[in-house]
Amino acid sequence: MAGPIEKMMVYLDGTEESIVAAEYAVCLAKGCGASLTALYVVNTRALNDLVRSRIFIESEEREYKSDLEEDAQRYLNHVQDLARKKGLAIQTIKSSGAINTEIKHKVEELDIDLLLIGELSRIQSRRDEFYNEVERAMRSVSCSVMIVKNEDRVWSLYESLV
Amino acid sequence: MAILDLITEDCVKVPLTGTTKKVVLREMLEHLENAGKINDVETIYTALLLREDQGSTGLGAGIAVPHAKTEAVKDLVLGVGISPAGIDFDAVDGQPSKIFFLVLAPPEQSGKHLQVLSEIARISQSAAFLRVLISSQTAAEVVEMFRE
Repeated sequence: MAGPIEKMMVYLDGTEESIVAAEYAVCLAKGCGASLTALYVVNTRALNDLVRSRIFIESEEREYKSDLEEDAQRYLNHVQDLARKKGLAIQTIKSSGAINTEIKHKVEELDIDLLLIGELSRIQSRRDEFYNEVERAMRSVSCSVMIVKNEDRVWSLYESLV
Repeated sequence: MAILDLITEDCVKVPLTGTTKKVVLREMLEHLENAGKINDVETIYTALLLREDQGSTGLGAGIAVPHAKTEAVKDLVLGVGISPAGIDFDAVDGQPSKIFFLVLAPPEQSGKHLQVLSEIARISQSAAFLRVLISSQTAAEVVEMFRE
């Protein structure tokens, strides 16, 4: 009988918190024999919104898109290295669009059992509650969600993983 | 990264006294320099003007979002200024700009820069919020507005 978690996905957004989530995901995937996918979403929806609102001109949109694509690849490569060092195969996906909908779509498309995300930033205003994309994704995905906390403990777990 | 992570009372200038685009930009930069947020005013001023030359960041509806990526800052910097009378900022609707969000980012922080600009874009769509913001009399009132 298969375990309760066969397919895990960790969402990366370029923050330290999401890297901690990736470290924990590597530990968990190794521990329960699950496959692991790392997803980074280039937020082209936000870029489009900035052009539409006239904050960005088109050359800025292109420049930022290129920067964000490079960031995405860098973080995905880093997480791939984290997994490889522990002998775990990992699938990496660079996607683009609106963050919350892309996460939701990938969870469904890949039939993910568990989504791991980094610790959420502190809610400071009502706007934060309305617009935190990762929180929205967390609420809307069809699978279980784990919020990874305690960087020191996670790092220690990752380091001790053979 | 949210506006509230960046905004402090010393980043806010109320009211702005400049009456032209260039003077207001310099006024906001000098305010940020006095607050210890930036050092190289001249480099940043040039970067902002270069961006304005490509197209005004006066969005209309009284909002302007001058911004630049520059190595002259080590981390994201936000300045907020309010000019109750408004100044000509070459806005797309031809109306004077009254609320200024000045955003500076180092080249390697495009993601954070994008998040902050996106939040400003959303705020700019709230006529009610902008109306109250324009009427703010002090920096503390402005910061409080963002906390709500």
